[in-house]
Amino acid sequence: MVSLAEDVAIVAFEQTPSHAHFNDSEPAMIMPCVNSVIEQVGMDRHDIDFTIAGSCDYLSGMPFAFVMNIDAVGAWPPVYESHVEMDGAWALFEGFVRLQSGDIDTVLVSGSGKCSPGSYREGFSLQTDPYVHAPIGLDPRTQAGFQAQALIAAGKATERDFAEVVARSHANAKNNPNAQLSGDLSVDELLAEPYLQEPLRRLDCPPTSDGAAAMIIARADKARELCDNPVWIRAIDHRIDSHHPTLRDLTDSPSVRIAADRVGLHDGPVDIAELTVTYSPEEIILRDALGLNGETSVNPSGGPLTGSPFMAVGLTRVIELARGIRNGDGGRGVAHASSGPALQQNLLCVLEGDG
Amino acid sequence: MPQLHDVDYTLEYPYTRTTGPVIGPFLTGLRDGRILGQRCGDRVLCPPMEFDPDSFASLEPDLVEVGPGGEVVNWTWVAEPSAKHPFDRPFGFAFIKLDGADTDLVHAVDTGGDPEAMSTGMRVRAQFRDERHGSVADVYFVPEADAADQVIEPGDEPVTITEHLIGLRINEPLYPHRARFAQGLLDGKIIGQRSPVTGKVYVPGRGYDNMSRVLMSEADEVEVSDVGTVVAFTELNPVQYYGQTETEPYVRCSILFDGTDQPVIGIDIRDMTVDEMRVGMRMRCIWRDPDERSVEDIDNRYGNIPETVYARFEPTGEPDIPADELKEHSW
Repeated sequence: MVSLAEDVAIVAFEQTPSHAHFNDSEPAMIMPCVNSVIEQVGMDRHDIDFTIAGSCDYLSGMPFAFVMNIDAVGAWPPVYESHVEMDGAWALFEGFVRLQSGDIDTVLVSGSGKCSPGSYREGFSLQTDPYVHAPIGLDPRTQAGFQAQALIAAGKATERDFAEVVARSHANAKNNPNAQLSGDLSVDELLAEPYLQEPLRRLDCPPTSDGAAAMIIARADKARELCDNPVWIRAIDHRIDSHHPTLRDLTDSPSVRIAADRVGLHDGPVDIAELTVTYSPEEIILRDALGLNGETSVNPSGGPLTGSPFMAVGLTRVIELARGIRNGDGGRGVAHASSGPALQQNLLCVLEGDG
Repeated sequence: MPQLHDVDYTLEYPYTRTTGPVIGPFLTGLRDGRILGQRCGDRVLCPPMEFDPDSFASLEPDLVEVGPGGEVVNWTWVAEPSAKHPFDRPFGFAFIKLDGADTDLVHAVDTGGDPEAMSTGMRVRAQFRDERHGSVADVYFVPEADAADQVIEPGDEPVTITEHLIGLRINEPLYPHRARFAQGLLDGKIIGQRSPVTGKVYVPGRGYDNMSRVLMSEADEVEVSDVGTVVAFTELNPVQYYGQTETEPYVRCSILFDGTDQPVIGIDIRDMTVDEMRVGMRMRCIWRDPDERSVEDIDNRYGNIPETVYARFEPTGEPDIPADELKEHSW
């Protein structure tokens, strides 16, 4: 496990509900989240040292859409600011690393995305290999279908296992006011639904969602000054598998295994795991690669199958875990964010309470 | 009467990429009706790569023909094709191990829309499209029994550039404040939003005041004057990029309407030359007849006061405002 130069904690967080369609601009969606986290810590906005956002112009359908998003974060007079064309969880990663330098105290992190105006399948197919994949529109749902079929062929899972992930996620989401979908679903009824992307059915896939999330993180002394119940970020790691799906064992995730080792996942109890399960088979792969057993509560929020605002959904996993720890549902846990198709890129973040 | 409408557009860019020493011959082969793999030790990689995927060592280009038959080793059925897929009816995507290759190519299998025809282990064969452009989309696959013999005429020059027209479709309603702004233009009114914090008036409003980080609503909206002052101008000489519709030089200016704090940018002037424009010049909007106004060019991101709502902007003849007084607004 990597030793840290600086202890860092989450001191404030906020998220929007997962909207089927948010009928206003992305900045208008982010702004209330940003205002909330600033209010929670009682800081003057311009006393926050560094600002970083994650979003995707392909979703927004506009070059430099991320520049417009700066409207939401209070960037005038000019602030020290950055952006990643990634989920907000990677903005958190950069903010966390930036704090390790020890010269600044606080970072405002946000992530946002509106999937409803466009076609995320078409947009994200552009993130694949530009010579052999993008020209045939190889989309994330198709790659999830390959992954599901590979699991079945290897005898590692069945369609019933996928349906059980869906049913459990929707049931958990009944307790999450920000979830877009929730309810009691029967596995047999789920299995009676037609295929959308054989062997996947519609609810094995995420809903189309719009949403945003924001967070303030701080170095140790400042964190204690800003709040009574900081949630400590003990480690973050990000690992990548090949972008050629045919060169991977799709039934496993070597990148998650490496990241889990690097963050020292099992150096302590894993009470809660908030995982970016965008397609139901991914939960089976992640549980295995993370080495989770029955003692871990997996996606008590319902996870992305019940609300999946891309580019905010990974940061939201960190928020849901931090909320669970603050609520006393567990003392330590892991948040997982993913990027690229079929769990190609994976980020793990271990959080621990103040106790 | 003209009406509002949803935002519906496709943002497109033609990407041209050089192909390099391995992908170039591969795409040349596809254009010429052959599939090539790259030798890597005692293996053959298809799709070909410039490096050994296990050791990442560079590979000298060494291409060998594979296929056209192969075996499906993984597949998924696309019940609802996207606009960017190779077929507009349901089809299979598959990992295909081509005869003579040791790695798998991801590609589309057309079974005539029948998912029952797909299975792991099935035999497929390449079919080449009538129009080929040196792209991976020049080829597709069908069940071997359905394959037709094809006579492919090879091209002349090797493929050194591959073109890919990427597109993003956007479809959504006008946001409420954009709809009210656009309706205002149809009614011959310019609607702005007054910040409840600073009192500054923004045209068009964005639904928030970014300086004060406060959302704004219909209650913050005000009609502003259609007379204002030129704060900036330029002459545009249209570059003939993909999608360009302009051919002749024209003037584009920014106008600060009376009583507002933010100029409206992108107002096009067709009946004056750049030599006749001055910063500080007072201008009035001459609206089109109500039946001739359109706000089709207004979406949720672009479009301020488009030419489709005004006939022209006319100098009022008032004395100019000293440019020095406009420095805050020269954008």
